[in-house]
Amino acid sequence: MIRLYDTIEPNVIDEELLKLAVEEQGPQEEAGQVAKQEGINFKDVRSLQLDFQNILRIDNLWQFENLRKLQLDNNIIERIDGLDSLVNLVWLDLSFNNIETIEGLDNLINLEDLSLFSNRISKMDAMDTLVKLQVFSIGNNMIDNLLNVIYLRRFPELRSLNLAGNPVCENEDYKLFVTAYLGDLVYLDFRLIDAHTREAGFAKYQYSIYELKHRENQMQYKLEEEKANIAELEKHKAAYVEYLNGSYLFDNLYSDDTEAAKLAYLPGVPELLETYKTKFVSICQNIFDYGLIQQEKRTAEVDLFYECLGEALSDNRDLGLKTINEFEKKHVKMLHDIRNANELQVVDAKMSECAEEISHLFDILMTYEMQLVEQLEESINNFERNIIDMVGTFVENVQGLMAQCRDLENHHHEKLLEISINTLEKIVKSEFDEDLPDDVRALFSDKDTVVNAVGASHDIHLLKIDNREDELITNVSNWCSGIVDKVHTDEHNRNRKRVKEINQYIDHLQNELDNLDFGDLLD
Amino acid sequence: MEVLKEKVEEEEAAEREAEAEQAARKAAAEKEESILDRDDLIDLEQKLSEIEVHIPEVPSSIDTSALPESYKTNTAQEKQLLKVADNFAHQYSHLCPDREPLFLHPLNECDVPKFVSTTIRPTLMPYPELYNWDTCADFVSDFLTMVPLPSPIQLVRPEYLFSPTSVLKYQKGNCFDFSNLLCSMLIGSGYDAYCVSGYASQDICLMDLTREVCPLLRKPEEAASQKEKVVPKRYTIKPPKDLRSKFELAQKAKKEAEIAAQEEKKRKEEENKLLELDKPPPDPMHGLRIHAWVLVLCGKREVPESFFIDPFTAHSYGTTDEHFLGIESIWNHKNYWINMQDCWNGCKDLIFDLGDPVRWEFMLFGTDKPYLTMADQEEEEEAADEDDIEILDKEEDKNFDMPLSWVEQIYISAKDFESRCPQGRKVIQYKQCKLEKWAPYLNGNGLVTRLTIYENADCRKVVEVKEWYENREDFLEMRRVDKTTHLTTEYFKPGHFLALREHTYKTMAPETDRSMEFYYDTRVDGLEKRTETPNSMTEYYKDRADYLVYRHVDYGIRLKKFSLNSPDTNPRPMLKITERFDRNLSKLADDDVAERIFVVSDERIQLRYHCRDDYITTSKREFLKRNDVDNKGNKIIMTPDMCVTYEVEPREHTKKLLFQYEMMMNLKNEEKISKHQVWESELEVLEILKTREEEEDTHNLTVSIYDTTRNEKSKGQREALERQAQEEHMRQVEAELDYLAPFLVQLPPGEKLTRWQALRLKDECLNDFKQRLIDKANLIQTRFEKETQELQKKQQWYQENQVTMTLEDEESYLTYCSQAMFRIRILEQRLNRHKELAPQKYLALEEKLYKDPRLIEYLKVFV
Repeated sequence: MIRLYDTIEPNVIDEELLKLAVEEQGPQEEAGQVAKQEGINFKDVRSLQLDFQNILRIDNLWQFENLRKLQLDNNIIERIDGLDSLVNLVWLDLSFNNIETIEGLDNLINLEDLSLFSNRISKMDAMDTLVKLQVFSIGNNMIDNLLNVIYLRRFPELRSLNLAGNPVCENEDYKLFVTAYLGDLVYLDFRLIDAHTREAGFAKYQYSIYELKHRENQMQYKLEEEKANIAELEKHKAAYVEYLNGSYLFDNLYSDDTEAAKLAYLPGVPELLETYKTKFVSICQNIFDYGLIQQEKRTAEVDLFYECLGEALSDNRDLGLKTINEFEKKHVKMLHDIRNANELQVVDAKMSECAEEISHLFDILMTYEMQLVEQLEESINNFERNIIDMVGTFVENVQGLMAQCRDLENHHHEKLLEISINTLEKIVKSEFDEDLPDDVRALFSDKDTVVNAVGASHDIHLLKIDNREDELITNVSNWCSGIVDKVHTDEHNRNRKRVKEINQYIDHLQNELDNLDFGDLLD
Repeated sequence: MEVLKEKVEEEEAAEREAEAEQAARKAAAEKEESILDRDDLIDLEQKLSEIEVHIPEVPSSIDTSALPESYKTNTAQEKQLLKVADNFAHQYSHLCPDREPLFLHPLNECDVPKFVSTTIRPTLMPYPELYNWDTCADFVSDFLTMVPLPSPIQLVRPEYLFSPTSVLKYQKGNCFDFSNLLCSMLIGSGYDAYCVSGYASQDICLMDLTREVCPLLRKPEEAASQKEKVVPKRYTIKPPKDLRSKFELAQKAKKEAEIAAQEEKKRKEEENKLLELDKPPPDPMHGLRIHAWVLVLCGKREVPESFFIDPFTAHSYGTTDEHFLGIESIWNHKNYWINMQDCWNGCKDLIFDLGDPVRWEFMLFGTDKPYLTMADQEEEEEAADEDDIEILDKEEDKNFDMPLSWVEQIYISAKDFESRCPQGRKVIQYKQCKLEKWAPYLNGNGLVTRLTIYENADCRKVVEVKEWYENREDFLEMRRVDKTTHLTTEYFKPGHFLALREHTYKTMAPETDRSMEFYYDTRVDGLEKRTETPNSMTEYYKDRADYLVYRHVDYGIRLKKFSLNSPDTNPRPMLKITERFDRNLSKLADDDVAERIFVVSDERIQLRYHCRDDYITTSKREFLKRNDVDNKGNKIIMTPDMCVTYEVEPREHTKKLLFQYEMMMNLKNEEKISKHQVWESELEVLEILKTREEEEDTHNLTVSIYDTTRNEKSKGQREALERQAQEEHMRQVEAELDYLAPFLVQLPPGEKLTRWQALRLKDECLNDFKQRLIDKANLIQTRFEKETQELQKKQQWYQENQVTMTLEDEESYLTYCSQAMFRIRILEQRLNRHKELAPQKYLALEEKLYKDPRLIEYLKVFV
């Protein structure tokens, strides 16, 4: 079905074409009359058939947001394109076209049935997101590599596959290979796969499949491990103490510090460093543990708050439902009475009574709402206070621990300075007989250099510690203000929504009453 | 036969007398209640005791001829035991002269004195139902008919105590017989049980249950459902401010409390009155009435606490229960103990530590003492010090164990076990109710239990009747008839093809008040309940795929037609169909219909949707089906005012006429379907009623295929099998016996034997047999010789090669020798035996031949 461009004028998908198609394929008879009267919105169309239209390019379909089934077969389409907005598509038929590569299907995650029969495709590819794919037809194409079938292993729902008419089918092992590698497949080339073929295929490719599976499992396992690691880190990050367990921060102190590395050659310094490190790391660990505990407490607090909030809301909702239910019972009866009343006076009296009831209902519902708002406000303020307090204590304690770190650093600095000066004196007195690398020895040319070097190292360390502390405090404060804001805005939105709902309902009731009035007068 | 007849007559007489006596007592008791005068009471009581003198001599009704020897005589050991017991009783009466004589060795049915402990025959019953004490006691109380003691008070002890087997056979007995049988069964199934002889209240002694609440009516104790106090959480919202006056509230509460207190007082007074009425009249013989019951001590069979069982009623009581007023002695199959504790306070202060000789005086020393709490040494010392009675018997008692029971093993036939009560029927009068029991299959309609509840204690006006059925083909389990509301409720077991579970009705006529409940999980449509009134029908569903849970139909008045007016041809017009649905979570709340009302009379359809979370109003939609024609004469298909909609959150597509039109079309279809379903339901009700009536008329009973005595098919099969086996056996015997056949074959067939032929036949047969015997002997002989020769050869060979032999060879030689010797010995024995038996066999054959029916007339002369 490959036609040449020059013989036939290619068609464009335009408004007229679409309207015609929609109308033709839309509801018929009485429903069709209704539909014609008010016009059909492209948004509401569920299925669209555009076959034998000589369409060259898929275009102008972005309005069909809710389209489930699209048939574009027997056209002269060369590229899959312009389907990105049709996310609800389940059924896509692109058979008998001139497509060369599979592309542009990434957004169609709901696709279950895809037909690319009789095209010019040479490779199955670029369909990774179509996880729901069940039926795939790609017969009469130019697929020539049997190994390309393995690509289809990623669709767990795939049950029917049509590959007939491809060069690959001439391979004598084609059937066995496909059945073996796609174990869940039920139909191949629209024929039920019999148990015999399946067994034979399995026997033939047993080992390579095992290997493949093993590799896949390994990949899966690695992925999971990575995920677990990331989850763990996320947990630490939520507690704002990531990388504080272990020597990460300590190592970080020294990572950009060239002077310290040089100074480490001095006698006594490695030992000093070692003790410094253990102490530092233990403090870091303290911060880490404390952070996790605090994090748990905060979550518990937040959970408790939301639980109470939920209870309050559901109680209020029950109350509202009950009130409305009672009202509706009464209301229906009243409406019935009005309908059946035959004296105008009685009707009038009833009508006014009914209107009163409605306004009364409005008052009650609004009262409940206002009450709830007040109660919640108090509760929310309470929560806000508590959570801010909690964060405050956390920050204070962390600051204390960080101060300990700084003290350690100062102490270490002093010691280091002492050793350096001693060494310098010794070198000056030429009593220093150990070998030092040249650049280290260069440091000890005069006192200022040495003191500067040690000082620079110290400054870097302090800066790093400060940075970490600042980071932690900013993050936790951000979280705190974030959650408080969220609670407030949520409550505000909820209130607006409820008030709107009540108003809407009352308006509806009022309208109903008025219309009733109108109808009765007509009669 | 005569004996039997006599026995039956006697039995009948005894029964009649017992009935008369019971009636008299009942009348007396009624009188007693009606008069309620203290002075007359004693008078009455005296009269009563006079009446009771006429109790027939029980032993006369027992046929002793078929009883085994052990029932009629005493063994030496038993005689010795009796001696010991006499000695024991003697010393006891000497030491405690003011106490009653002991119940030690009453006469049994053969007038032979037997020690009470030996009358207990521990037996484990083959029925699993009798393994636990409660069911076991129930069985005993059901199986036996109670016969009161000859004298209710202490002076005359019952002189007789029958064996449990006789008691079972005649299905009646007094409290001692009851306890004895129950105790045997309980000990048999592993309980630490004892017979108790003592004193109990009048109700217990006379098995008077009229002050008891029927166990079937006892409500299960409600678990104390204390609501957990809700601890206010930190963020629980505070309740809105109460703006009412505190003072007014307090005043109000005060008033209410006052009224409540008054009501409470009234209620209490009434309760007290009722309780007063309930109390039994005072019994002048209180504390003197003799009774026997069973004590089960804790320890064995995981019994956590000791308790009493009253064998008449099978009720269990705590050991401190006020019904039991004192204990004289207790015994089991191993020993006998006298209670040495004071019973001034009933059994409340008794301690059941049988190892304590101060509290419990034992008769036989050396048997195991259960429940020993004291240190062994102390125990022995005390035993040595204080057992004055014991010392005398000590030498002979030291190793004297209780002899084995003289009673045969207790046997209850499966038929007896099934029918339970005597003649399969039993009536018990409880407080305000009467309980009747029947054996299964006794009543044609499967009735097994009937409970009649009366309005008050005088049992005149029936309030409610409950009947339990078994083995019904229609799976009817229970029927309850409320006499005040005239409602009948039938309960069914699962398995009926209509899946009916409960059916409440006044009459079986259709279109009346009724309620049917179903086993919804066995029904395709998931119907759980259907209630009907004359003009409505409500159905409740469960677990349906379309989430329908409720359907209600209102009917109008049936239009009068002049044609046939049966319900089939002229259904009642439906006015309104209401259907409710559960939430279908796969749909949005705004698309998920919660209630659907088809107002048929008004041509309206109302829809109410489910409520969204966090919202308080629900979407609604109302369709008016009008097939009007507009002013131009065109048919109006759909106009906006045909559909009134309220949506919680207005949406775009629902405003479209097309959407509304399609929805309306759908609903019209649904309405048709619903109407059809309602019609089907009506048909089903008719069918159920018809089926029920038919079943009630036929009331067939089912018989399990394992029940070979009742199930015709199984019975036939079993009998056929038995017959077959018997025939097979007969054939074999015949085939064995025909020793003349080989000789008869040689003669020309069909001709009569001549005498000469007969003689020859006999001789031939005998000769042949003789030859056979000799041949057999020769055969054994040759084998014997062969074996001996071989052995000798082997021995020779061994002696020659002894020096060059390996150890293995020698060993194999030795084993061979021993085996050969064994074979030789056996052969020798066989030969000797054959020699011994051969002449006898020969003679036996000869005699048989003389008696053979085919030869007898020819050989007669020589005999």
